[in-house]
Amino acid sequence: MLYIELALQGLVNGSMYAIVAVGLTLIYGLLRVLHVAHAGLFTLGAYITVLLTNATGSLVAGTLISMLVVGIVGMVVYRLLYEPLLAQPPYVALIASIGLFIAMEEGYRIIFGPYGNSFASTWLTERVTLGPFSMAAADVAMLLGAIVLLIFLAVLMGRTRLGMAWRATVTDPAMARSFGVDTIKVRYGIFFVASVFAAVAGSLVAVLNNLVEPTMGDVPSYKSLAIIVLGGLGNVTGTLLASLLLGVIEAYGTIYTGAYLDRDAIAFVFLIAVLMIRPQGLFGAR
Amino acid sequence: MNVLTLEAISVRFGGIAALTSVGMTLKQGELLGLIGPNGAGKTTLLRTVIGVVRPTQGRVVLRGDDVTPLSVDMRARRGIALTHQIVKPFRSMTVLDNVVFAAGHAKTGNVLRALGTRSRSEETQRARQLLELVGIDRYADANPNALPLGALKRLEVARALATDPKILLLDEPLAGLNHIEAERLADTFVRLNADGVTMVLIEHNLGQVARICPRVVVLDNGKKIGEGATRDMLSDPAVVAAYIGKEVAHA
Amino acid sequence: MLPTLGAYEVSLIVIVSVNVMLALSLNIITGLCGQVSLGHAAFFGVGAYAAAVLGNLGVPFLVVLPLAGLVGCLLGLLVGLASLRVRADFLAITTMGVGFVFVGFVRKQNWLGAEMGLSNIPDHGLGDAGFVGVCLALVVAIALLSAYIKRSWLGFGFATVADDEDTSRTLGIDVAAYKLTAFVVGTFLAGVAGATYAYFTRFLIPGAFGFGVSISILAMVIVGGVGSIWGVIVAAVALTLLPEFIRVVNDYKIFIYGVLLVLTMRLSPGGLAGLVGQLSASRAEMPPRSAGAQP
Repeated sequence: MLYIELALQGLVNGSMYAIVAVGLTLIYGLLRVLHVAHAGLFTLGAYITVLLTNATGSLVAGTLISMLVVGIVGMVVYRLLYEPLLAQPPYVALIASIGLFIAMEEGYRIIFGPYGNSFASTWLTERVTLGPFSMAAADVAMLLGAIVLLIFLAVLMGRTRLGMAWRATVTDPAMARSFGVDTIKVRYGIFFVASVFAAVAGSLVAVLNNLVEPTMGDVPSYKSLAIIVLGGLGNVTGTLLASLLLGVIEAYGTIYTGAYLDRDAIAFVFLIAVLMIRPQGLFGAR
Repeated sequence: MNVLTLEAISVRFGGIAALTSVGMTLKQGELLGLIGPNGAGKTTLLRTVIGVVRPTQGRVVLRGDDVTPLSVDMRARRGIALTHQIVKPFRSMTVLDNVVFAAGHAKTGNVLRALGTRSRSEETQRARQLLELVGIDRYADANPNALPLGALKRLEVARALATDPKILLLDEPLAGLNHIEAERLADTFVRLNADGVTMVLIEHNLGQVARICPRVVVLDNGKKIGEGATRDMLSDPAVVAAYIGKEVAHA
Repeated sequence: MLPTLGAYEVSLIVIVSVNVMLALSLNIITGLCGQVSLGHAAFFGVGAYAAAVLGNLGVPFLVVLPLAGLVGCLLGLLVGLASLRVRADFLAITTMGVGFVFVGFVRKQNWLGAEMGLSNIPDHGLGDAGFVGVCLALVVAIALLSAYIKRSWLGFGFATVADDEDTSRTLGIDVAAYKLTAFVVGTFLAGVAGATYAYFTRFLIPGAFGFGVSISILAMVIVGGVGSIWGVIVAAVALTLLPEFIRVVNDYKIFIYGVLLVLTMRLSPGGLAGLVGQLSASRAEMPPRSAGAQP
């Protein structure tokens, strides 16, 4: 039973990684930028959701508004930070992004205080029992949320103009332009979608822990970087698989290696080991 | 004596065959033209010789040694130099320093040696000569970003020459130059060739090829379709058809 | 002035010295050779812990310094070897990972004090004035070494690797050897800085070598101007001292680091040195970008 519960716990965490990392990989595929500040948007989404839910009494309303606001903030970040830096060497945008992330986290601490905020209602702590298994309601929400989002993503990338334009631009930007793809619009679209995903992930984590705090973006930010490398940068399916795999490996790893290694370091040991064997990532081409 | 032999080189990118079983030889002291319509695989072939592209099949043999497994820098240190069709100057340093650095190949070949030496006077002198040779000495202290394309093309040549190559691979060095400039640079190649540098020249300016290359290899669609005296090749029906076919297709 | 150095002055001088050493050591890897490392604090930490362990074995301080450097560059060599296998984008993430693995490892090691920290580090036996002297001598030596490397053919090679490693290869440069050299030298110096730090604080906790520290060191290099030795020194001194002297800066130190990184990248990617270069160039009415970030 322990093994199965560990696996479930791993999948719950892996789903959260997936929702965050998929946005990063979409953006990397498009711009070759490692958007570290993505996790800052994740935290922003969590704060907005908690504050609005407590103000309005509706988690749905809080989350929806949070998604919209964070989506717009994501586009603003693209416009003000990355667009002017695209012609520079890649490390310039990376360092700017790290700077923005640090400033955002500190900004939350300064504005909202260091201790974090919680939801006023309590249904989240209830447990759902299904046969021999029992899970926290929030865990179920995370899994269901991830499944819904990922189906939405599959439809978006596979069936819509934005998805096709993204794939065309990733394959060959010049070719995409010559076929009439408006690459500027695609960029704004992708930043919006990726940021909305970050907001949802942040909201789900807020529900899961019934807590938002300024540093809650730390773990997802560094881990999702490891994940998109494992997934083969710019590879959406690879990123999803790597997220779930890492979630499960961490769940078991904590049991077996906990005495020698911090949980948060497992991802990077795994990453470094994989890169030594397959420098292109687990699921990367070439 | 053959300095370079390419044995049945095939290169595939993904599912696309860029080169199919191309074989050719380069004799000591030769100035060989490598011609063919756009997309024939000429640049890919030169990139295979320097090692940037790894052949799917076949061997690159340099003076009897199989260099196929060797890295780009090892091949460069064995005397192969390449000028890029799309210019690639070091943009963080001056035009002169681009050439000075290449001229220091004896010092930079070994890291410890490189750490132990500072003097650049010999190399600077040599670099100035080379800039003069290719006619861009007036740009010596400028940043490459300030140079017109024609001058950058010649910087490529000067930088490659600074490595004292035994085999110089020239990828469209005359493109973007006006008639007089092209003629002058082509004459420079003839002079260097007479001094003992073996060369392969990719060039679309067939007039200059006919003028300076006694022998050419012709590629089309990744295959060798001809090889021989330049005059004969340029009137060969198959070669003419390859060029004209492309012209028609492009029109 | 030497005899009347108070404890506060001593600690300021030592901390500034350690940060300048760290910034200069990262500058060799990131500034001169163009390899972005987000895990430099790991090498700093390895040096510090190695010094603590060696010191406890009875090795004298002045012998510990180079040994800690060696331990640091052993790890640096490993990371350098790893860096050769991955693309530039991956390197930043791999080095960041090394930083996390280091902290995650030390946290669980009882023999290194784990979370509680390591506090039984012996006295260096040089007295305050002697220790300050060693720190200043190290700073001067590292600055001179950096300047020498930059002007040597090795530094010339680093510059081409940073600029365009593929083209560098076609000119016969063994890019792998150059990158490894940068890693070995830079991480050796970080290890030495770690030993200095260990003997100064005589108390080590894993948190002192975390990701935030790696970013602070990187901020000094970036704000100073990648590759510029004087720029990096000025930035390291300023970024260390400003929080000490300006209360507001201290309260919002991390926030200010973040904003500085964004503003530098956005407005003057060449950092302080690039800015000064541009100003003096425009005053002399020379074409802009004549030398860019590397005067």
